Amino acid sequence: MINTNLGTVTPVPVLQARGITKTVGAGRAARRVLNGVDLDVEAGEVVAVLGRSGSGKSTLLHLLGGLDRPDAGEIVLAGRELTGQSSRALARARLRHVGFVFQSFQLIEELSGEENVALPARLPGARRGGEERARRLIAELGLSQLAHRRPHELSGGEQQRLAIARALVNDPELVLADEPTGNLDQDNGAAVLSLLRSLDGRAVVIVTHEPEAAAIADRVLHLRDGRLEADAGPARAAAALRESA
Amino acid sequence: MRRRRSLLTAVGIALAAAMLAAAIVVADGLGRGFDRAARAADLADVIVRFDPQRAATVARRIEALPDIAAFSLRQEYTGVAIGANGHNSQSASAEVVGDGRRGYAIVGGRDVSGRPGEVVVERGLASAWRIKLGGTLFIDGLGPMRVVGFAESPDNVSYPLAAARIYLSRAGLARIPGAGLDPRVNFAQIWLRDPRNVNEVLVQARATSYGLDGVRFVTRSGLRVLLDQAAGIVIDLLVALSVIALATAAVMLGSSARAEVQRRLRSIGVRRAVGASRAHLAATQGFEALFVAAPAATIGAVAGTIATYHPTTNLLTLLNEPAPGTALLAPLLGGWLASIAIPVLAAAWPAWRAAGRDPVALLQGAELRRGSAAGGGSFRFGLNRAGLTVLGARLVGARRARLVAAAITLGASTAFILLMLALASALASLETDPGALGKRYQLTANLPATDTARVRAIPGVQAAAPRYELDGVDSFSLDEPIDVIAYPGDHTVFEAPPLTSGARMRGAHEAEVGAGLAGALGLSPGSTLAVQLPTGNELRLRVAGVVSSLDHDGRVAYVPAKALLALDPAASEQLAVRVRPGASVSRISALLGNTAAPATGATARGVPLVDTLRTILRAIAVVDGLVCLYALVQASALIVSERRRTVSVLRALGAGGDAIRRLLAGAVAALVLPAAVIGIVIERLVLGPALSSLAASYATLPLQPTWLEIAAVLAGLAVCSAVAVLWVARRATRETVVSGLGAG
Repeated sequence: MINTNLGTVTPVPVLQARGITKTVGAGRAARRVLNGVDLDVEAGEVVAVLGRSGSGKSTLLHLLGGLDRPDAGEIVLAGRELTGQSSRALARARLRHVGFVFQSFQLIEELSGEENVALPARLPGARRGGEERARRLIAELGLSQLAHRRPHELSGGEQQRLAIARALVNDPELVLADEPTGNLDQDNGAAVLSLLRSLDGRAVVIVTHEPEAAAIADRVLHLRDGRLEADAGPARAAAALRESA
Repeated sequence: MRRRRSLLTAVGIALAAAMLAAAIVVADGLGRGFDRAARAADLADVIVRFDPQRAATVARRIEALPDIAAFSLRQEYTGVAIGANGHNSQSASAEVVGDGRRGYAIVGGRDVSGRPGEVVVERGLASAWRIKLGGTLFIDGLGPMRVVGFAESPDNVSYPLAAARIYLSRAGLARIPGAGLDPRVNFAQIWLRDPRNVNEVLVQARATSYGLDGVRFVTRSGLRVLLDQAAGIVIDLLVALSVIALATAAVMLGSSARAEVQRRLRSIGVRRAVGASRAHLAATQGFEALFVAAPAATIGAVAGTIATYHPTTNLLTLLNEPAPGTALLAPLLGGWLASIAIPVLAAAWPAWRAAGRDPVALLQGAELRRGSAAGGGSFRFGLNRAGLTVLGARLVGARRARLVAAAITLGASTAFILLMLALASALASLETDPGALGKRYQLTANLPATDTARVRAIPGVQAAAPRYELDGVDSFSLDEPIDVIAYPGDHTVFEAPPLTSGARMRGAHEAEVGAGLAGALGLSPGSTLAVQLPTGNELRLRVAGVVSSLDHDGRVAYVPAKALLALDPAASEQLAVRVRPGASVSRISALLGNTAAPATGATARGVPLVDTLRTILRAIAVVDGLVCLYALVQASALIVSERRRTVSVLRALGAGGDAIRRLLAGAVAALVLPAAVIGIVIERLVLGPALSSLAASYATLPLQPTWLEIAAVLAGLAVCSAVAVLWVARRATRETVVSGLGAG
């Protein structure tokens, strides 16, 4: 279990999304992939969003993290309205409140593992103490021996664990993971999912098409025809998984 | 995004095409101008000036020379007063032409006929005084004359660099009552059957000129050497800068094309997988580049031609040479094609290379570059405050070959800007500061030597001495003019051009010669200088030393006054006056009255030429600055283009515009700092000394930039870098983060 020192977990939603609509493409190729999506995610909750390829899962994740803007609807992150904010304000929100984990890791090749983890802490406006948190996260994830290596010298699982450490370094309230096990084998995938499950006190949203990822979630939602639909089954399975842990 | 990249590429191509066109216009105009002018004017192989003689006598002597194809005789009047359109000159040269070949080209209107009242004026004079065909020119003693034509002859530079020149018909003047026409002649033009025999003819001419006074020979080849020296500086500068601009554009366009191909690797892989050939893919990329390059190169070539054609034509007019006209079309067409071919090839080559890779690897997102994926140098990013700036530097350092090529081209541009500044300073100094030529006197006075003591007694005068100066020629090579200067005592008190070899002259049998003269005649310390004086006497002296002098292109000889006056007692004399430090030059000048004149710089009489040169230099410096800016913007855009995903990852992690600017600042600094060092080193060790030698092999022209100039150029680079960073960062942050995350 990673000690994130977030203090008392409150039931107030870290993330609230209401009536999110998004159309991608243009002209005849235009397609509405999100059509009135509502979603609340509380601190300490892991939510898995499942859907077929092209269903709009990644688009939803980008909107929730302020990487893209919805056509309509509103998103409130950590008590602040994201929609309508300037690019600068969105960047500041991502820096302080959101940690991203990507399918293809997105580590910077020129930097070592440690430097990649510490990178968000070095950005202007980052909270103090990032460097110390980076070292601690690397140690807690068992990556100390690998931290000096460049990404291409590491396995996929090691790279993804570094990416998760990077997502956590600024102590965000929300972690958004886009197909975090998509490029990993089964063992590494399981290790990464376990790690995401262990992020106590944070809101975690995982979008995936893999049922294994859903198994660790508190709540599983399906994205169909641009709308989110609840699925109770995997949630029970997740609860069982936690109890057995 | 892609449209903007194409626009940036187009700007680079247009800039390079403009530079190339400008270089072609100036190089062709000036480089071949003399030959064109000489051909058009039917310039004589030998021009002889002498004291007035009966035409029949002169004709007999010329006819006795070997290999003569034709000759014509004129009377040349100097110091003629003329006026037109509110302008006037007291020192015009009137050429009274008779029968035979003219030796000048009519470039407007017609030549003088036998009718009275007609005059042809030099084109430079017509241009300066705005004289139109059919207009009136007043000539002292002749009254108003109708201008029937404009002439051009490259045997001398034009007004206002030289005295105004007009042409009158001998037959027409004979019909004007009271014109006071001298039946004698003092000017002969000689055309040879074989111009290669000019030296033999000159030797013979010298032998047969016995009895003629004031004989001076000028040859067509000698004129060409003198004019080419001036034009050569500008041509070499422009050609060198064009090469730099083309190299910069080629490096940047090549890098840009490579980045574009890297971006399209998957698409290329797909097309290879469905059967497209390498040639087809390379041709497709080339055609795309063609659509950008063709209009950009056309715009650039037209702009470069328009920008330089008029100033070049003005310069040619001053040099009495015709505008190149349609002769420019072929080289301009060649330059235009080169401006298109280079970017097309730069685009097609990486596509050709990429298409050679295994299609499966391309489909899986292979790197165009083979080898290590990491790169980035060995230094550590470190957890310090300069993190993003250092990361930017590391991103640039990851492409080492690119960094080296870009830094060298940018460094070359920087070196050129430094050179322009140094050259402009040198020109300004030569124009305004006689001291730059080694002259230590501040005033001259048209007074006889007997007044020396009186002038020395004037308060504030440190030294005064007679200064003798006359035009001689080399006894062995009669077409080599020599400016002979003499002082009765130590000439270094008044003129001390730097000694480059040998020693200062001592005694009455030694001389110092300018490096230009030494180079032309093969003189060195210990050899013999033989000068034929206007009196016909020969002055022979031992060369004690060679001095660096820009005066008269370095064709100067300092000789003892005693030796000179013994052979030419009537040598032109004036007093050179050296003023004490702190004393008022203007007060002493006022005390000397209207006999006094300030000492002049080498170019004081050629201010229009110097101004034109400075205008061209300024234009070159501005274009060079634009090349620098373009290189920086293009390099920054390339960094962002190639590292689009890295930039997007940073933005996804929360980096705002400020962080992206820091990243780019580090990247640009990694390029600019070595480029600045390279630029300073290239200028100080290569370009400056090379151009100094090229510009004036007859003298040492200091072309080392001052620290202030270096600081100014570094500040300019910093500003250009800031512009590049701000502009490219703005572009980068306008793209959505999501689209960048998916970039290859």
